[in-house]
Amino acid sequence: MPCNPNSTKPDRPTQWRTATAFVAIAWPLGACQAQAPPPDPQAALIAKGRRIFFNETFAGNGRTCGTCHPEQNNFTIDPAFIATLPKGDPLFVAEFNPALKQNFENPRLMREFGLILENLDSFDDLANTFTMRGVPHVIALQTSVDSPQGPRTGWSGDGAPADGSLRAFATGAVIQHFTKTLKRVAGADFRLPTDAELDALEAFQRSLGRQRDLELPLPLRGTVAKRGQEIFLDDTLGKCNICHRNAGANATLGGQDVGNANFNTGVEDLPDQPADLTGEKVPPDDGLGAPGDGTFNTPPLVEAADTGPFFHNNAVSTVETAVGFYDGEAFNNSPAGRFLASIDPNGAGIELDGTQIAALAAFLRVINALENIRQSIELLTQGQALGLREHARGRELLRRAASETRDGMAVLVGGGLHPEAVAQLNESSRLIKRAAKTLFSRRRLTREAIGAQQRARAQLIGEQS
Amino acid sequence: MRRFSSGAAFLIAWAAAAPLAHGQKATERYVPLGQSPGASGKLASIGEIAEADARERTLTITEPAGRRTLKITEKTKIYLDRSKLKQTNLTGSFADLQKGRRVEVKYEDAALKQVADWIKVEITQP
Repeated sequence: MPCNPNSTKPDRPTQWRTATAFVAIAWPLGACQAQAPPPDPQAALIAKGRRIFFNETFAGNGRTCGTCHPEQNNFTIDPAFIATLPKGDPLFVAEFNPALKQNFENPRLMREFGLILENLDSFDDLANTFTMRGVPHVIALQTSVDSPQGPRTGWSGDGAPADGSLRAFATGAVIQHFTKTLKRVAGADFRLPTDAELDALEAFQRSLGRQRDLELPLPLRGTVAKRGQEIFLDDTLGKCNICHRNAGANATLGGQDVGNANFNTGVEDLPDQPADLTGEKVPPDDGLGAPGDGTFNTPPLVEAADTGPFFHNNAVSTVETAVGFYDGEAFNNSPAGRFLASIDPNGAGIELDGTQIAALAAFLRVINALENIRQSIELLTQGQALGLREHARGRELLRRAASETRDGMAVLVGGGLHPEAVAQLNESSRLIKRAAKTLFSRRRLTREAIGAQQRARAQLIGEQS
Repeated sequence: MRRFSSGAAFLIAWAAAAPLAHGQKATERYVPLGQSPGASGKLASIGEIAEADARERTLTITEPAGRRTLKITEKTKIYLDRSKLKQTNLTGSFADLQKGRRVEVKYEDAALKQVADWIKVEITQP
């Protein structure tokens, strides 16, 4: 039975021969689709948002949203990624556009620490009123951007102008980062996103990554990661689950769900912060509000291990150091640290030894790898369902699956964890590469790649009830 | 347990009940009048200045729905929207709230419409 009955009309011999030939080729490949799926308006909106996110410059200096949130680097930038970019990349616009040479970015801090310049409190004194911040990834926003108090965007939870929503965020970002000159005149230095573009951008960003939180505890197989999970969930030891419920971005305080919240954890009080050591001007960052109250927004932890550096100022580079921060004086003397001490039976904040820090980091690495595997399988499965004529889309999905797989391997290797799972991911990666190069064996190779992902997953976690 | 309850109550109040200020209010300055996504037409309204009382720190504007008097506090931001002149927008002051000028006002509480969060004053002549 051919895909399209009309193609076999006997009074159209040429069409019939063409259709027969097509079916003869397509049938064994499984490309014959009985009926095109109905158009999905939400999928179309997300696809439109993706195009805008990565291609639209809004008539500005050449940057797109993807300039600072590149998909191939988990929607964030770090010094290693920045080092791979060509000199003319729009990220470096302050280095080659004379109008943006002063007070738009600090190229040294950008290249060395992945920091970008933000005029959060005011544009009245550009030389002195600014902050230097890392680029937060935009993965799993669906789980973190909403809170009972309103939307939380950006490092201090107040990153958007207008109504403060994720939808409005792009408008502020265009004004801050896309402008041709520091005059920032709408219609001359950039154009503002339209309502339709804002809708699409929001839909795309909300579609990225996890759509819901984990349910801990997970039946982890690794001895150290399993201990890390116990420490994470222990409200008298790691105390992590209080502010990062289920390793997400939402807090439970006194048994109440307060959603995505802001805390002053004392990161600004860390000694020897990398950017400060350069001697470059780095004004204190006062967080939420103008003037700020010193609080910053809680990010999700599932995606942490492959999206460093960490904290709003990229203060540390490894997940182990980020966990270790909570054992230090800066945190334990902060309002959040003092609160934890106030509810501890022994009056202690967070006190962890080296092995416990390593265990917590191992846990974070494993749940990150599990998310990489989940996304890889999802992308590969989507690719399998595509028809023969959607080869380009299929290759795109394979490319993204390969990227997730690489990340999964990297976070496990970085912690010396689960070498058998790494071997399976390596095998999956090899199969994905082969699948991307072939047309006729693509489905089989993709199926085998999914199998390797599933075997890797089985090394990390047992069956969930 | 009692210590936990009081500490938690404090932190809940601090983390959850604190008003969510929008730090990127600063970029709001460069958004032309009537173009703030999700705010214009919903949380903000456009009108013409009928009266500005510097002593009382109040502003009376004429909107399609009628006259409205609102309070201006120390926190209220005043922006001069010069985008029609293709010039950079500026931070303004109470003195810029001159009778007859077109303004957009965003309220701290959109339902009450009593206190201005920000005011954009449209400047159409150099």
